[in-house]
Amino acid sequence: MKKLNCSLTFLLCLTVTLSFAQQEINKERESGHSNQSKFKQLYEEFATPNTYRSASGTPGPDYYQQQADYKIDIELDDKNAKIYGEETITYINNSPDDLEYLWLQLDQNVRAKDSKSPLRDEKEFSIAYSSEKFVKNLMQKPFEGGFNIEFIKDANGRSLPYTINQTMMRIDLPQLLKSGGQVSFSLKWWYNIPDHTIDRARSGYEYFSKDGNRSFVIAQFFPRMAVYSDVEGWQNYQFWGRGEFALPFGDYEVNITVPADHILDATGELTNRKEVFSREMMLRYEQAKKSYDKPVLIVTQQEAEQAEKGFSEDKKTWKFKAENVRDFGFASSRKFIWDMQAVKIGNKDVMAVSLYPKEGNPLWEEQSTKAVASTLKSYSAHTFDYPYHKAISVHAKNQGMEYPMICWNYGRPNEDGSYSDRVKFGMISVIIHEVGHNFFPMIVNSDERQWGWMDEGLNTFMQYMAEQEFGEEFPEDITPNKAYPSRRGAPSKIVPYMRGDQSTISAIMSNPENVYQLGPNAYGKPATALNILRETIMGKELFDHAFKIYSHRWKFKHPTPEDFFRTMEDASAVDLDWYWRSWFYTTDYVDIGVKGVKKYYVSDKPTKKMKDYMTSRGLTEASFPPMVYLVDEESEDFEEGLRDKSPSETSQDLKEYMMDNMTAEERSQVEEPKYFYEVVFNKPGGIPMPIIVEYTYADGSKENVTYPPQIWRKNDQEFKRVISSEKELVGIVVDPKAETADIDASNNSWPKKEQNSEFEQFKQNIKGK
Amino acid sequence: MILPTAGILQNQIMKLLKTLVLRTSILLIIVSLFAFTAMHKFYVSVTNVQYSEKENSLQITSRIFIDDLENVLEERYGVQLDLATEMESEEANHYVEKYMRSKLVLSTDGKDRAFVFLGKKYDNDLIICYLEIEDINLPKLKIIEIENDILTDMFEEQQNIVHFRMNGKKKSFVMVKENNKGMLNL
Repeated sequence: MKKLNCSLTFLLCLTVTLSFAQQEINKERESGHSNQSKFKQLYEEFATPNTYRSASGTPGPDYYQQQADYKIDIELDDKNAKIYGEETITYINNSPDDLEYLWLQLDQNVRAKDSKSPLRDEKEFSIAYSSEKFVKNLMQKPFEGGFNIEFIKDANGRSLPYTINQTMMRIDLPQLLKSGGQVSFSLKWWYNIPDHTIDRARSGYEYFSKDGNRSFVIAQFFPRMAVYSDVEGWQNYQFWGRGEFALPFGDYEVNITVPADHILDATGELTNRKEVFSREMMLRYEQAKKSYDKPVLIVTQQEAEQAEKGFSEDKKTWKFKAENVRDFGFASSRKFIWDMQAVKIGNKDVMAVSLYPKEGNPLWEEQSTKAVASTLKSYSAHTFDYPYHKAISVHAKNQGMEYPMICWNYGRPNEDGSYSDRVKFGMISVIIHEVGHNFFPMIVNSDERQWGWMDEGLNTFMQYMAEQEFGEEFPEDITPNKAYPSRRGAPSKIVPYMRGDQSTISAIMSNPENVYQLGPNAYGKPATALNILRETIMGKELFDHAFKIYSHRWKFKHPTPEDFFRTMEDASAVDLDWYWRSWFYTTDYVDIGVKGVKKYYVSDKPTKKMKDYMTSRGLTEASFPPMVYLVDEESEDFEEGLRDKSPSETSQDLKEYMMDNMTAEERSQVEEPKYFYEVVFNKPGGIPMPIIVEYTYADGSKENVTYPPQIWRKNDQEFKRVISSEKELVGIVVDPKAETADIDASNNSWPKKEQNSEFEQFKQNIKGK
Repeated sequence: MILPTAGILQNQIMKLLKTLVLRTSILLIIVSLFAFTAMHKFYVSVTNVQYSEKENSLQITSRIFIDDLENVLEERYGVQLDLATEMESEEANHYVEKYMRSKLVLSTDGKDRAFVFLGKKYDNDLIICYLEIEDINLPKLKIIEIENDILTDMFEEQQNIVHFRMNGKKKSFVMVKENNKGMLNL
């Protein structure tokens, strides 16, 4: 069988070559062109590797990063919604450069009265406003937000000169901060805390008018060091509101003074637990540390409801210490219910923690800590063991925002406590997403200001896997669904975006401030691209290994896109430059189809094409050794007599060849192919992808073949294959499991399927019932 | 940070925005929607009206956010339907149909035309209603009018987008409470 096929293929090859040779070149001379191949390596797009960052994607021998250590004292004025702080920053210059000045980030200034952020977007009157929107947009005085800096002093108490440019502040150093040196200085400030429910600030308070309390979720609350790196120098791109944060790692000691009846948790280890916990809370805490299967309440709903009425005038200070974190956040309110459980990660215990007002129940007591624990396990398994000692999920209305060890999440039931599946899955998903951000970017610390997709895309990809694993771990929580209903990640979900209007789509490799739709651009598309890479292009084994290597190489460091791209290739031996180029650097889309199928029959008579060829070269049949010819069913050479015969019946030469070259036994075992096809695939879409084909034969059997993406390397438009088979081919489907995000399925089948409109399909479905 | 999935609706708006920018001056309706793009909730529905020669009918799909529709049905009829949940009320179809009949009116050459409510389907956050107007005889028609008040009784900012597609022609309208009619001259 094999032998026969080989010889047939050889002969077939000859025919193809002959037909190519026939084509005459009589076009005018064309001009040359540069290398436009989609498989060209990304030398022009990528930064040149150097001693800071190696070509393999690993930190180079001279890789460095700066360190910023903070000692901060904070006082939260609940009554007036103000925060006061004083901090000492110790900045360690590990770079080879001497620094004349330092840049700090004043993110709260995005809400200052003179902020340019609200001015940069086009605005026109709506035809109609709700009264609420009218008052907010056209009548209200602007919020008096932004940092009020009281002083900046050096270690000896002398004032340091500084210049504020919007959300960035330059401190001019009296003398150079030498490479390898360090400098300490202190700042004092205060600001008005915004109501985060009004314009979706990333931190602030929610006011509960029924009981008069606020629930605070506080972040970006202190002047923070900008990143100085080998890639950007100072990363002082302004904070406009969308592009998130770039922050150096450091050690934090933070003391937070709040009303005595507040419950508070934050980034870092609580170092004075005995001072702030009641005896009852201590006992419950000890219990929680040993509870691996369900959370233990540290503060019950009843206790929280009692506390809501207190409005204590006394104060209490909560003290935290965190090592090797890139930021600090905290949540504080007398409304908080608090639960915790232990999770085994590697050989270490991590606490999964939730803080929520009673408005979150019963959903939050049922699902939050469970989702935190499940996320830590899933992400650890795919990357590295979660290195911190706890992860907290705080319930804040409409929030979904991440900080080291702590995050704010939405998902609020109706007032009567009922909630729909949409609210529940929305809540579990946002918790998985935000807790997952501990890995990307809190630990694998990419530059969010410049590359939103590096943390959001990778994290949304991980979120998809973690959601699916949550569904497998808790099937009773997702019924009647069989798999967790993930909103992003599956290839089909990104199709509407990728086939959308090109004028409103940006490449993934864009700054978050400049893209049209950040959701699909920085979250959905990169997550889907990685999912397809894992499941279809590389395979899980190669992908998972490479992804893990990337996570390990860059944990507690600052990777760039190239570091990720290079590592994925370096650790897998899969050339992916074409994939990065088309999915990440362009707005191309996937569209591959089957254009046509031609049926051929074997004959020993030269076809017209062959005759033409012979005439043009002055050759005769005698000039060739015995040949087998393939006759196109639709050509004039075709005769009915060729149908339903095996090749050795219609080609005497083939029969003789077999007699001469095969033993009688071999001949008896040969199953001669009777059917010969030439299939043409085409690619209207820009992205070169593998062609995943399902061939169906007359006996109902199916054969799946995946042609690698490299088939497009020489012809980016069309690709032909020949098939010889004992069985009649009756159907071809390209991408039968919809795993490539092909934007147009109408050209994916042969014979062409009647594509019913969505409406017709629905109508047929209901008739069927 | 998490962003809500910007689904089909937003894509539709972006597309429409573009055509409007190129074409007409109704631009101002939409711009305020985009100040914060994906971060904020849209009050939008998208209705497609397509002529089927085969069926001699107008085939209509309306995509509406489930939670918005649920809120309006609760407010208007005092019913809790739990749409798209396991507990969905058996009366859900009845109320959705009733609401659609009162808010979406099509007429041909000045005569109101009743639609057949075929049913509804869910797609993530969206409910899709399938409506059909039979015996349409398009070649003889001069004018098709549509009046779309979906959710404007609840949300001041509600925008209802209508795309007509017939005889290879496309026309789109954005409707708001004060301007709820669109007319197609054939």
